[in-house]
Amino acid sequence: MKTSKNKIQGIIFDILIGVVVLFCLFPFLWMLLTSFKTRVQTIDPSVWIFKPTLENYQAVFQKRDLLLYIKNSAIVVSLTTLISLFLGTLTAYGLARFNFSRKEDLAYWILSLRMLPPMAVVIPFFLLGRFLGLLDTHILLVIVYLSFNIPFTIWMMRGFIEDIPRELEEAAWVDGCSRFQAIWRIIFPLVAPGLAATAIFCVIQSWNEFALAFFLTSFNARTVPTMVTFFLSVLGVIWGEMAAVGVIATLPVLIFAIIVQKYLVRGLTFGAIKS
Amino acid sequence: MRKREKEHYLFILPSFITLLLIVVFPTIFLWYVSFTNYDLSMGWENKSWIGLRNYKYLFLEDKDFWYSLKISLFFSGFTVVTEFGLGLLIALLFNRRITGKRLWMSFLIIPMVITPSIVSLIWKLMLNTEYGVLNYLLSLLSIGKINWLGYENALWSLILVDIWEWTPFMALILYAGLQALPQEPYEAALVDGASSVQLFRFITLPLMRPIIFISLLLRAIDSLKMFDIVYGLTQGGPGNATELLSLHIYRLGFRHTNWIGRASANAVILLMIVTLLTTVLLRIMKRESGEGY
Repeated sequence: MKTSKNKIQGIIFDILIGVVVLFCLFPFLWMLLTSFKTRVQTIDPSVWIFKPTLENYQAVFQKRDLLLYIKNSAIVVSLTTLISLFLGTLTAYGLARFNFSRKEDLAYWILSLRMLPPMAVVIPFFLLGRFLGLLDTHILLVIVYLSFNIPFTIWMMRGFIEDIPRELEEAAWVDGCSRFQAIWRIIFPLVAPGLAATAIFCVIQSWNEFALAFFLTSFNARTVPTMVTFFLSVLGVIWGEMAAVGVIATLPVLIFAIIVQKYLVRGLTFGAIKS
Repeated sequence: MRKREKEHYLFILPSFITLLLIVVFPTIFLWYVSFTNYDLSMGWENKSWIGLRNYKYLFLEDKDFWYSLKISLFFSGFTVVTEFGLGLLIALLFNRRITGKRLWMSFLIIPMVITPSIVSLIWKLMLNTEYGVLNYLLSLLSIGKINWLGYENALWSLILVDIWEWTPFMALILYAGLQALPQEPYEAALVDGASSVQLFRFITLPLMRPIIFISLLLRAIDSLKMFDIVYGLTQGGPGNATELLSLHIYRLGFRHTNWIGRASANAVILLMIVTLLTTVLLRIMKRESGEGY
């Protein structure tokens, strides 16, 4: 009796999970579907099965210059990620392996910088960018994105470095390695997976960022998320093209996110919760 | 020996100086601008120091500021609590033996990692009154058309989108918390004949307390900062129905008026609210790590 009751309960729970998964997936699927529809079909929600067309994808590359946006995003994202990884990992090592006064205060102060609202960051950067003639350049976005990527990298990498026993390094010192040699030969190979995960998180955050890119660029350095401004007016929005941009913009992020799934909770909580 | 003691500077200073230059200095600059009457249409050298007048304007004259503050706090409070409740239920659903669990959970990642500005447009299409798929599905259930993005409903639609986007965040964190719980207290309580509701109330919840607080605060901070989704979905409208604080800053500083001074004062207020929550969050995180996590 009890087992059959448990079985029914289990089936209900499985169905509920199915509902949750469907709810999470549906908007993405709808976007995917819309991207293959013709213009008339996009404004008819009763069309679910149809002959797919690629005209939207052609249009976004030819009419909307999507490649230029992808190029800008790629430049900004890769530079800010590389610089953050270098500076952040160095500091993470310092916090993980040295003891000095007020170390934890410093670490938490750094983390607090990660929480700054973009609308508070954007005004000074807009003005400073104007004075220095840096508005609408890649370099300005790279610098602004460092403000959230460096603190993030420091917190993630500190955790990964602390997971490695000190003894391994100390043994290398005994063998005559300098500190940097030991870092290069012992620490670096061991934190490589963590470093890759951290890099992917930086890429996702920077790739998705909208507010700062929207205010600090106008044409030359526009990134992919700012393309939404093409599709804001209610009348005459070409939903098929919008969806095609959406699919192309989100696919790389989804693939990256699945790669780091194991570290996702750690990344979302800045290493506070290790699952 | 003295040289060794200073070795850590080599590791810490590069980031520290960078952060001073790109975060601390601009923040001080923001404070400074908030005490001036600077306006994008005037030259920088023509601005003058006006003390607290921008703040006085916001507090005493700008009714829209109070409205923005009110709906921002309501929006954050409501979404965070709802997302927590739903997230906990989902975490509990997953906290059993399920075939293909990893695959199912990977679908939960979709809403929170896909580009937010794109998310807002997908929902804008789905919520369209005339040809949105939501109203279509409702019509199959013989429910009449809902004007999702009209004045009355826009804030609730925004809340719906936020719940869709961020409930999985809560679910994943709380699930990680459930998985990390020790087994012994449960075994002891079961021997004492505790019911599953009692187990949850007196063992699970107290043990999960730190994780619950961390996830609530992280989410609250993020939702107060939010700009992209609401910009794509409604741009603060119709009227100022969904004009959260970030959007009010945008309107003051960049959209119709170019009052950068006033916008800066508003940004400082947002910054202070976020800083308050951050301070609480960091205190909890510090205490937790102190107890040997």
